[in-house]
Amino acid sequence: MEELKELDLAVIAPFIIIQLVLMIVGLIAWFKTDETNGPKWMWLLIIVFGSMLGPILFFIVGRRQN
Amino acid sequence: MQWRTIFAKEMSEDWRNFKWVWVPLVFILIAIMDPITTYFLPKILDSVGGMPDGAVFEMPEVSPVDAIMMSLTELSMFGVLVTVVISMGVISGERKSGVAELVLVKPVGYFTYISSKWAGKLLLVLTSYIIGMLVSWYYVNILFGEITFSDFMSLLFFYGLWLVLVITITIFYNTLFKVPGVVGAVSIGTIIVMSILNQIFSHKLTWFPNSLSSHIGEMLTTGEISGDLWGTSVVIIILVIVLLVSSLFTFRGKEMAG
Repeated sequence: MEELKELDLAVIAPFIIIQLVLMIVGLIAWFKTDETNGPKWMWLLIIVFGSMLGPILFFIVGRRQN
Repeated sequence: MQWRTIFAKEMSEDWRNFKWVWVPLVFILIAIMDPITTYFLPKILDSVGGMPDGAVFEMPEVSPVDAIMMSLTELSMFGVLVTVVISMGVISGERKSGVAELVLVKPVGYFTYISSKWAGKLLLVLTSYIIGMLVSWYYVNILFGEITFSDFMSLLFFYGLWLVLVITITIFYNTLFKVPGVVGAVSIGTIIVMSILNQIFSHKLTWFPNSLSSHIGEMLTTGEISGDLWGTSVVIIILVIVLLVSSLFTFRGKEMAG
C-alpha cells in the first residue's frame, strides 16, 4: 500500500508542476499586457482560480493583439 | 537570408507572447490526461463509493497500445484545436493590422513570407507534440506496460504528418481570409467534414488522411508498417505540397487585388 502511494505521488506531481508553471507564466503575461478582452481584474481571477484552464484561456482569448 | 530573418522574427514573437511555454505544457496535459485517468479510474470509483456491497465491477484490461492510442485520440481533438487556434492569425492577423504590407513592401517574396511562417508554426507545434508524446510514453511504460522505442518512433513520425497537414490547412485559409476567427472556424469546419467523410467512406478510402490514426493503431498491434499507412502518408504529403502551392497563388492574387 505504501509503494502504491509513492507511485501515485510520482504520477500526480507533474500535474501540479505544470499547473504552477502555467499560473506563474500566466501572471507574468497578465502583468505585461496593457489591454485585455474584458476587465483586467477579471482575468486575474480566472488565471489564479481557473486551475489549468484559466491561464490557457487567458493566453488564447484574453490578450488583445495589436 | 530573408527567409531566416522572417523565421527568426516569428520565433522571437512566439517567445515574447509565451507560446513557447504554454503550448508545450498544454500538449503534455492533452497527451497524458486520458491514460492517467484511465489508470486511476478503479481507485477513483473505490474512493467515491456508492457501489452496493458485494458488487463486482470488472475493469477491462487496458493494453499499452490502447493507452498510447488514447493520447492520439485526445491530440486529434484538443491538440488539433490548439494547433488551429495558435496558427489562425499567423498571416491573416498581420494582413488585418497592416504588418504584412510593411513586410511585403520590402523585396520579400510571397513564398518566402508564407513558407517561413509555415515553418515557424511547424517547429512550435511539432516540438510541443514530441515533448507531450514523450511524457505520455513514459507514463504508459510505467503504468500499463512497454511500448518499444522503435514502435514509438514510428508512431511519432506518422502522427506528426497529421499535425503538419492541420497547420498547412490553417495556413492555406490564412491566405484566403483576413479575419483570424474566420480562418479558425473554416479550418476546424474542414477538419470536421473530413472526419465525417472518413467515417462514411472508411472502407473505400483507406488512404484518406483521417484514417491515419487507425493505421497507426494497427501498426502498433501487428508490429508492421502496412501499405495503407504508407499510402495515407503519401496522400498527406501530396496534400501538404498542393495546399502550400495553392496558398502562394491565392495570397499573390489577394495581395495584387488588395
